[in-house]
Parts: sequence; C-alpha cells; structure tokens
Amino acid sequence: MTEQAEQDQAPEPAADAGADGDAILAVRDVAKHFGGIHAVDGASFEVRRGSITALIGPNGAGKTTLFNIVTGFQRGDRGEVVYDGASIFRRPPHVIARRRMVRTFQITKALAAMPVIDNMTLAAPDQPGEKLTGLLFRAPAARRREKEVHERAHELLDVFGLREKADDYAGTLSGGQRKLLELARALMVEPRLVLLDEPMAGVNPSLGRKLLDHMHTLRDRDGVTFLFIEHDMDVVMAHSDEVIVMAQGATIASGPPEEVRNDRAVIDAYLGASVGT
Amino acid sequence: MTPLAVSLDVFGSLDFWIGVGLLAATYGIFTLGLQLNVGYTGVINFGQAGFMAIGAYTMAILVVEAEISFWLALPASIIVAMAAGLIIGLPSLRLRADYFAIVTIAFAEIIRYTAVNARELTGGSQGIGGFDGAFLDLSDLMLDGLDSFGLGDQFLLPLLIVAVVVFGLLTVGMYFLQRSPWGRVLRAIREDEDAARALGKNAFAYKLQSISIAAALGAVAGWFLALNLAFISPTQFDPLFTFLGYAVLILGGLANYFGVVLGAIILWTLLEGLRLMDLPLDASQTAALRYVLVGLVLIGLMAFRPQGMLGKRQEMVLGD
Amino acid sequence: MEAAEAGAVENQQGRLAGLGASASLSPPVVAALIVAAIAVALIVTQGLQPFGQTTVNGLISASYFALGAVGLTLVYGTLKLVNFAHGDLLTLGAYVAFVANVSLGLPILVAVLCSVAGVAAFGVATERAIWRPMRAKGAGLLQLLIMTLGLAFVIRYSIQLFAGTQPRSLEVDVTSSTSFLGLTIGQTQLIVVLVGFAVLLAVGAALRFTSLGKQMRALSDNFELAEVAGINTDRVVLATWIFAAGLAGLAGVLYTSAIGNMTPNLGFFLLLSLFAAVILGGIGNAYGALAGGVLLGLTQEWSTLLIDARWKLAVGFLVLILVLVVRPQGLFGRQERAL
Repeated sequence: MTEQAEQDQAPEPAADAGADGDAILAVRDVAKHFGGIHAVDGASFEVRRGSITALIGPNGAGKTTLFNIVTGFQRGDRGEVVYDGASIFRRPPHVIARRRMVRTFQITKALAAMPVIDNMTLAAPDQPGEKLTGLLFRAPAARRREKEVHERAHELLDVFGLREKADDYAGTLSGGQRKLLELARALMVEPRLVLLDEPMAGVNPSLGRKLLDHMHTLRDRDGVTFLFIEHDMDVVMAHSDEVIVMAQGATIASGPPEEVRNDRAVIDAYLGASVGT
Repeated sequence: MTPLAVSLDVFGSLDFWIGVGLLAATYGIFTLGLQLNVGYTGVINFGQAGFMAIGAYTMAILVVEAEISFWLALPASIIVAMAAGLIIGLPSLRLRADYFAIVTIAFAEIIRYTAVNARELTGGSQGIGGFDGAFLDLSDLMLDGLDSFGLGDQFLLPLLIVAVVVFGLLTVGMYFLQRSPWGRVLRAIREDEDAARALGKNAFAYKLQSISIAAALGAVAGWFLALNLAFISPTQFDPLFTFLGYAVLILGGLANYFGVVLGAIILWTLLEGLRLMDLPLDASQTAALRYVLVGLVLIGLMAFRPQGMLGKRQEMVLGD
Repeated sequence: MEAAEAGAVENQQGRLAGLGASASLSPPVVAALIVAAIAVALIVTQGLQPFGQTTVNGLISASYFALGAVGLTLVYGTLKLVNFAHGDLLTLGAYVAFVANVSLGLPILVAVLCSVAGVAAFGVATERAIWRPMRAKGAGLLQLLIMTLGLAFVIRYSIQLFAGTQPRSLEVDVTSSTSFLGLTIGQTQLIVVLVGFAVLLAVGAALRFTSLGKQMRALSDNFELAEVAGINTDRVVLATWIFAAGLAGLAGVLYTSAIGNMTPNLGFFLLLSLFAAVILGGIGNAYGALAGGVLLGLTQEWSTLLIDARWKLAVGFLVLILVLVVRPQGLFGRQERAL
C-alpha cells in the first residue's frame, strides 16, 4: 500500500450501486428502553444492497443498541427489521447470523484461548461436523468440508497477512491484528451484510487503510454490503456511499455524505452533544 | 513409627490397587462428564452425582423389579439419564453459570431425596441389591481365564478390567470428539457465547448436548459403582461425590481429558491410602481427615495452580 | 377478586416501569396476595388448627432460614461470591456454642455470644486470608466457587475430625412445651422464634437506618456505583463479613436449639434451603432474603398439610428450581442480575 493515499479519495461507486438500489436491510420505527431511558426511540432507515453505509451520531445516540437489536442480541420493544425481504425482528442472533448477516463488536471478540486457525474455521457455515448427527452419520462429508474450510481459512488469512499466525493463540495477536482477524473471520461466514462496530477504533492509520481497502474490494468484487458505526469523520466522508445519522435514539438524517454533512439537524445534533472522534 | 510401617503394607497389596483402580475408573468416567461441561463448554454442573444415581438406580430397578435383562437395562439407564439432563437443562441453561450450578445441586438432591423416600421403588435407605447376576456370570468366565495367571481368586479383577477398558475407550472417544468441529464450537461457547452466536452457532443447543452427554457418562459411572459394591443406596450419591469429582478435575487440569485419568488415579490413591493406613483415629475421623485434605487441595490448587497438572494457563479462561 | 387485583398490580407495574421507577414494589405485593390466598385455601380445606400449627412450625424454620439467608445474600451482593461454605458457618456457630455451653459449662446466653463473635471472626479471617488476595489476583467465577467448596469441606470435616459424627446437643430444654390457642410449641422453640424475629427486625432496622447499613445495601446493590459515590468499600466489606458470619453463627445456634441436636452436616443440609430463600427474595437484596426465609419456612411447613411430611425438604428444592425458572431475579431483584 503506497503512502500517497494520505488524502483518501472518494471510492469508485460499486458496480451495481445505481442499478440495483434495493434495500438489503430495512429498519422501521425501532425502539428500546431500559427503565426510563429510551436508548432507541424511533429509528428508521434503509441500507442499500452493495453499499458501504456509515452510521454516525454523537455518543449515546443509540447506535450500538440498534446494532444489537438488528443482530438479535437485544430485544427491541417495537418496530420492524427486514433483512433480504424477511423479518428478523426479535429472532435469535445465531439464526440471523446464519442468514449471512455478520457483525463485529466494539471490543473485539477474538477468541483468545483458541488458535487463530480455529477462530477462522469455526466461522464457516454448513459444517456437518458441527452436529453430533453429522459426526456419526455423515463422517466422510464432514471430513471433506473440514478440509475445504481449512483451505479457505488459510486463503483468507493470507489475504489479511495473518498466515504465519495461524497456529498461535488469538490472544497473542496485537490489537490491530485482532481486528483483522475479526474481519477475516466474519468473511468466512460468506456474508451478504457485515455490520462493523467502530472498526477504526484503536487502530493505527496504515492498518485502518488496510481494513478499508478490504471493505472496498469486498464490495466491488463480491457485492458485500457494509454498515459500520464510526466516529472518525474523515473515514466516513471519504469511504461511505451513504451516511445515516442518529441522535438521541432516533434517525435524524440519511443520504450521501456531502448532503448529510450540511444538514441542519445533523449540525445541531453534534453541536448540542459531546462529539466523539 | 508404627503407622508408617503399616501403611507401606497397604500400598503393597494387590487388593488395594484393584480397589483404587476401580474407584479411579468409576470416578474417572464420572469426571469425564464434568470435564466436558466445565472444561469445554463453560457450564458448571454440580449435579453429576444425581445423574450417576439415575444411572445406577434405573439399572437396578429395571433388573430387580421389572426383571429386565441386565444388558438391556444398561442402555435404558443411559436414555433415562440423558432425558433427565434435558429436563434439567431446558429451563435452566439460560441462567447465569452460578445459578445453573445451584439448580443442578438442587436437582441432584431431589434425586437423592427421592431415592431415600420413595421406598417402594428404590428400597429407601436400605438400598437395592441383587442386580448383578448377569454380570457375575461374565465375571466368572473371566476369572476362569485369569486362573491361569494365578489371579483366579481376585473376584473384583474382571470388573476392574472392564472398567479400565471402558474408561480408556471413553477418554479417547471424548478426546476425539473434542477435536471435531463440534468440539470447536463448544470451546468457542465456553470462551465467549456471544461471539459464537454472532457466527451462527446455537449456543443453547450445544450446552444442552453437553449436559446430556455428561449425564450419560455419569450413568455409566453409576453402573460401575453399583457393580463394585453389588448394592446401591442413597448415601453413595451424596453431593460430596460430585465435589470429589471436581477435585479430580482440578487436579488433572481443565480442558484435558488425559488429566482426568491422572487426577483420578492420584486422588483415589491418596484417599484410599489414607483410609487404609492404620492411623490413630477412628473410622469417622479418618474419613474426616481425608476430606479436610481434599478441601485444602482444592483451595491450594485454585490459589496457586488453577490449571492443575495438565491444564494450560490460557484455558483457565472461565474468569468472568 | 384475585384476578382484578392481580390485573391492577400488573398495570401499576407497567406504569412504574414506564416512569423509570424500579418495579420492585409490585412483585412482593403479588407474592403477599398469593400467600394470603394460599393461607385462606389451606384454612378452608385443612382446618384452622392444623394450619395454625404448621404456621407456628414454619415461623420456627423461618427464623434461622432468614438469618442464614441474609448473610449469604449480602456476601453475594458485595463480593459476587456465591459462598458454598456459608452453610458450614452455621455448623461452626452451633459447635462453638457446644464447646462454650457443654464443654466449658458456660450459660447458654454467653455461648450464643461466643458463637456470634467466633464465627464473625472466622468470616473476617477468611476474607483477609483468602477472598481479598484472590480478588486482587483477579480470580474468576469458577475459581472462587471451587474455593468456597474447598473451604466448606475444610470447615465441615475439621469439625467432624474433632467432634465426631454423633449428634450433640446444647444444654437447652428440649422437652417442655407450652400451648396457646390450641397450638403447641416447645419452650426452647418459642425462644428461638422470639430471638430470631427480634434479631430479624433489628437487622432490618440497622440496614435501613444506620449509615453502615445503608452503605452495605448500596454496595450490595451496585458495587461500582457505590464505590464511585465514595463509600469506603474495604470497611464496608469487612462490616459485611462480620454481619453475615455473625448472623450465620446465630442461625446455627437457633437451628440446633430448635431441632434439638447438631451434626457436622447441618450446615450443608441447610445450604440449599438458604439458597432457595436468597433466590426467592432476589439475590443481593437483604430484605429479600428476610422475606424469602420467612416464605420458605412457611411454605415448607404448610406443604406437610398436603403431602407426606418426609417430602418436606424437597419442597424447598422445588421452590428454588421454580423461582429460577419462572422469575430468576426473585421478588426484589433486578432482571439483569439473573441471566
């Protein structure tokens, strides 16, 4: 990766961005409260298939809670979430993940006490060897799939530059490497939609650029959609096709980055709240 | 002094080692289940003695009262134990780890309590005997064979051989099960359930399977306990024995099935050795001394070497 | 009548939740209503005298359940420690009283004080020698749980080592009894109930009105918040142990006085019932433990009206499982605590 990308350019539009503008994810009037606190209060937006969409907003706007509701880790009080045409509202997280929606967490959940390669192979879908019945009655198929999965895992580790670390415990990886691992692992799921919770947090610029390049490649080549929460405005402006803004639990604006940046309501929200970077 | 001289005798007797071997194999199988739950799934099962009781009592009741063949009663008892695992797991596995532990003790005590009080079915405190006829036939055959080695009068030796073989097979089996993709999911669940779920794994279903398999292992241990004494009664399924299982588990090391083998042998050698050493104490005091030592070992291990003998430091991850 | 009241309570609960107030007012009200309904049903079907007698018996159990449970819940609340050795603190209390009362011939009152002080001191010793160092090391849940198990073994079997397994008794009157209103109660048992409930009230008052009590409750309810609010956690933790262990010692003496004898197993035998009381009331909540203890004692004894008395203990275990399955946070607890 060359140094010249100091001023990150706006990404080239995805191959089918304009043509295939349907929503892979639609969130409608979702709300959740704890006791008297309304963490999310009327969030509605759509994520266009094949886009890189950013979800921004001041601290406490409810972004992570929204992620949790969309991915099934928290139970929304009301609303609707439609993914790829089917409702996933209040479905269990593992069911949602199996529909090829994968997420990362604010604090990376690299499984530290397992080797890197196991982290990867764990994530692959459709493994007969993961079921007891599969082990007993479909052993040859299980073995074959395991081999496939190992190969793909090594390929992905290669792409992310983690090949030599394959047999090390994930806990021995640096923070940045763990972020890469989490993304690589998410890709093993062969996702259609990836939700990233602050992927740039605590990551040095060159590594950050690597992550972003990967995102672009995956979007351009494989049509993967990304929705990411981010506080770094430079990254958001330069890399996202669309931006959704939340404040105090509700969506207040959405659209292309330039439009949103100049939106009155957005400016007010940020001025009125402590802005995180 | 005199106690030492006598104790050396104990360690030289074949009877002693056969006894130790049987207990080690029995509680080893028992603890394989604990290892699966605690060391590999992150589920704290304090009710293993209850599953052992279910295995032993189901077998005994079917043979003695329903007059079913011993060899059919064995798989039946496994099915009942696994069903019990499901029944206790379904409503409770969603609870926090320590709450689940309490539920499992309550379950085990209910089982034991039922064994004491449902007298018509279980013989109450008197217990049940007379279920081992079929096994004795097999045992006699083996003893005939052992006669040529001059061991024909060690009547527990056939049981020991069977127990050790079963223990060995189960240990190796669990080891390979753990190396499978299924085992990999289990380990992920142990370390971080949410991460596993976010990758599409149904954590609840896996935990349920873990409990059921542990229940089955507990039931198998129950058979050997029953055959060893030719008699079962509720006191043999006191929670004390679950905690002895944990002593084996911690001693051998978490997340290592071969550690269970090592831990079982060492702990039972110590316990039986102390029991049979001629100490200047009466029977209940000797028992008390043994268990005080077990308690000290548990505290000491957790404080200074929580990974036990064969566990890895990184595996002691259940530290939420 | 019942449904309408319950319905009204439900609405109130919903409104309170919306207002952000803790909904801890309504579940106990619901529970009280259920208990009252059960009491009425039992009186009607079994007769007033049997009901009254079992209630008296239930109050006897309630006194030591509640005192034992309070300590267990406070230690959990402040230290997140599920102390499987707590039952053995009751045993210790009983045996210390035995040594003072029977072996040394001291009057029973002095023996009780020795128990309370002795077990309290022991509790503090375990905190200093074991729990604080382990917390400093960052010991995890499983490690601590196993250590409490080990400690339970050490206490119980050390007692057995020195005192043997045969039942021992304190020098209290176990034969004479008094009657009133057609109900009988042993004289000693009456004293147990009176002392037990007096102490319960004192404990409740202390927790509510003294600053130390409030701090203990605050710490137990939300450790981090209390720390941030400037509470001297070390001091309060120490006070919690003294309180919890002392009450456990007293509960042990009360139990052995009520039952008539003691064995080294008495504590572990009671432990599950104590857990049941704690969980019923909501773990970490001291008032909950008191209420849970009373409810458990009453439920156990009332159950003998319906089923054979030998199943009495199983009732406690079933209550425990039922609570954990239906409402794991208990009567007074918060939901996040349980799952």
